[in-house]
Amino acid sequence: MAHAEGTEGSHDDEEHMPPKSSIKRWLVTTNHKDVGILYFMTSLFYLVFGGVLALLIRLELLESGSTILSGAGYNQVVSGHGLIMIFFFISPFAFGFANYFIPLQIGAKDLAFPRLNAFSFWSYFFGGLLFGLSFFLGGGSFSGGWTMYAPLNAPAYMPAVGSTAAVLGVTLFVISTTVSSANFLTTMHSMRAEGMRIRDMPIFSWSILMTVWMMLIAFAALLAALIIMVADHVLGTTYFTTSVEGSGSFLWMHLFWFFGHPEVYIVLFPALGVLGEILKTFTGNRLAGRKWIMIALGLVAIQSFIVWMHHMFLTGLNFETKTLFMATTIAISLPFDLMIFGFIYTMIKGKVRLTTPMLYALGTIVLFIIGGITGVFLGAIPLDYNLRGGYWVVAHFHYVMFGGAAALLGAVFYWFPKMSGKMYNETLGKLQFGVFFVGFNLLYFPLFFAYEMPRRVFVYDVSIKMYQNIATVGGFILGTSILMMVGIMLHALKYGEPAGDNPWQGWTSEWTVSSPPPLENFSGTPSFKSGKLDMLNPATDGSGVETDGGHAVAEEHADHASITPFLISLATFVMFLGLSGFNQSTAYAAVAGIGIVGMIGSLLWFGFEGFKAPAPSNVNKWPFEGVEQSKLGVWIFLLSDIVVFGAFIGASVFMRFAYGWQDWHYDLIPEEHVVLPGLINTYLLLTSSFAVVLALVAIKKKSKKGLVGSLAATFVLGVGFLYNKGVEWNHLFHIEWTNGAGELIQGWGFETNIASSTFYLTTGMHGLHVILGLLILAFLIYRAWFNNAYMEDDRPVEYFGLYWHFVDIVWLFLFPLFYII
Amino acid sequence: MSETKWKLYTAIYVVLFAFASLQVAVETLGFLDEMYWAAVGAIAVLSVIKAVFVAAYYQHLKFEPRSVTYLVLGGLVAVMFLTAAASFSIT
Repeated sequence: MAHAEGTEGSHDDEEHMPPKSSIKRWLVTTNHKDVGILYFMTSLFYLVFGGVLALLIRLELLESGSTILSGAGYNQVVSGHGLIMIFFFISPFAFGFANYFIPLQIGAKDLAFPRLNAFSFWSYFFGGLLFGLSFFLGGGSFSGGWTMYAPLNAPAYMPAVGSTAAVLGVTLFVISTTVSSANFLTTMHSMRAEGMRIRDMPIFSWSILMTVWMMLIAFAALLAALIIMVADHVLGTTYFTTSVEGSGSFLWMHLFWFFGHPEVYIVLFPALGVLGEILKTFTGNRLAGRKWIMIALGLVAIQSFIVWMHHMFLTGLNFETKTLFMATTIAISLPFDLMIFGFIYTMIKGKVRLTTPMLYALGTIVLFIIGGITGVFLGAIPLDYNLRGGYWVVAHFHYVMFGGAAALLGAVFYWFPKMSGKMYNETLGKLQFGVFFVGFNLLYFPLFFAYEMPRRVFVYDVSIKMYQNIATVGGFILGTSILMMVGIMLHALKYGEPAGDNPWQGWTSEWTVSSPPPLENFSGTPSFKSGKLDMLNPATDGSGVETDGGHAVAEEHADHASITPFLISLATFVMFLGLSGFNQSTAYAAVAGIGIVGMIGSLLWFGFEGFKAPAPSNVNKWPFEGVEQSKLGVWIFLLSDIVVFGAFIGASVFMRFAYGWQDWHYDLIPEEHVVLPGLINTYLLLTSSFAVVLALVAIKKKSKKGLVGSLAATFVLGVGFLYNKGVEWNHLFHIEWTNGAGELIQGWGFETNIASSTFYLTTGMHGLHVILGLLILAFLIYRAWFNNAYMEDDRPVEYFGLYWHFVDIVWLFLFPLFYII
Repeated sequence: MSETKWKLYTAIYVVLFAFASLQVAVETLGFLDEMYWAAVGAIAVLSVIKAVFVAAYYQHLKFEPRSVTYLVLGGLVAVMFLTAAASFSIT
């Protein structure tokens, strides 16, 4: 194994950073490995938090009926356990490893946007903090289950500040995830080192690439759903409480499960990637059918978006839809079969070394096969009718989700020596795996036999008591195994032997650098042109080709520290905390105001801060050759925004369809809601888009006044758009009108009916985008006027234009939908 | 920026302005009352044409690698499928 040239020299970069022993280092760092460790440590905390809630559930279920928890308390604990484990533990745990190892595996020095990466972490951190606080705010936390079904999620059933805070905590996490997805996608599509085609990426990197594509689209739909729910709580819209029978519940389920089913694979894919890495390292064999496993992962990623309605078989969907979704659900199991065969054949063809990570890999395959097979039952409509509401789903779900987490625990043992430079005690590791595996199966397998017991209740038949009690014993053993793992790592950090650069004889490029790796990973510009990453071990593949990722090219060093991501996230947290009780107390409204001021201040600091991200050179960008890195980032962000707005527009269309398309207009919308304000705003936005084009023309003509004038015109037109909207809304709030039933109604506000709710929220979200655009415009105008910016480099203006034109395009559809038809 | 492009961008602006007015004309001339779904179809097509013009020329999608267009279309297809399938499911 060759060592990357000159990696020791990069340790000098550490001198420019606060030491790792200082708190300041962890508040300001933007380095991907530091951020990875932050994700890792924080998600471990949430594993313990969610685990303690799980043990409370297990203790409660020792006996039927209320013992240690009240009914309301049990609901909160069950909901909190699910939401914390799914949102704040599993995915972030995987993304700790992704942060740490993706740049190393693809030959990059950091992620494309290091400050945004730190922002993602801190938003996740504060999202979790807000969720944790929700238990202590007025009325307790959210108690409607992790699926947050309507109408239980509506203010009528969840009026407490705590429940709104919990939803906002999850919303902050989803914002973090969206930014993180765009960052990883930009990185992996624009920073792969020379010679690394997309199909040459290590299997873990490939699995993360597929994961972040799913995340970008799925979480955008969830973001729209959560914003709608928050609007119902804070603004009084009536999406989920509408009198249009059942449509609010259906709307939530469609939006939630359009996210929710891909989320299963979002959790699972990193685990499958880890499995691939561990199996090839500890069998000494190439991954059998590697190409087909990659294709299978890609297929599942696409298929994951066409199966969501199998979660709704118990509802009143029409039978044609149910049948179609049964077929797509059964079909999605086929690529998984291919993957499992590939993994098993890899072991058959190789020489297995039974280390702790390998034991975890074997265990995961067993757990995943059990979880997968029991899931096929739920894909069949008749079986699902009988099993959906009971403990079969609980058992299956945990075998899949926590089975996936088992591979990630294997990843801890696999990559810990690289991250720490220390080797843990293998005997203790194997013992820990044994305790984990026994505890896991004692906990979850008996629950299959308790399939007749309904979920989310603590009353059960005496015949089920034995299964519940065995599960409780298993739960405590499983919890002990997690503490053992933490203890083994702490012991290794203090007393462990030096691990060396490549203790496992791994093949991928993270094993070619020192343990732990230097701050900038490689001292020069890595290249894989001479070989593939999977061919690092000449003794095994027989090619004699080594890839060490190491042509050193001198270049300017990048920055790795900024306090602004922390501050922006903190301000957002304060604003969301205020929003939680915005409509219940002026104190909360004041807190929200402080948060908004803090956000504006920290964003300005972010904008003016000089920060040099690692500049990629000599890279492979397929399929986006010729697209500059930041521009690609903007387009990927816009893709997620397309889904957010698409979900909002889709929600309006769905609700109108449910009500009766043409009756909607006559029954729910006042005659005073006329076309003219919308038409004026269309003219204003179209003209503002043209003004942005003129700004770029002015730069080409080297006219600073032309640039500033055009941007200022865009700004004025945008303000005009908002003013016109304000006048229109104010008028509609105070009209007197007669609805389709002949009732005289005062005002047409957010809460009047479902048509007004969809109108105000959808166009309001669009207005919020205009406001954000105006803030960016003000920044651009200042910089252009006072700093002579953009005359030599027009990219910021061009990229702002991409955003502004997108806002324009959205309006081109909102205008006819809400004003004409 | 060449003179030709400058003229092109201006022409597109005029077309966008005209199409927005045309959409309103469909309603004010009473087509929505006389043949509702045909009028809705016409309004939708006009919106799509306007959006394509803005994306292709103002956002320069026409001059970017085709993969960027596919990126945008991917998101559109996903949400259109969600909307269509969800609406059909409750028929």
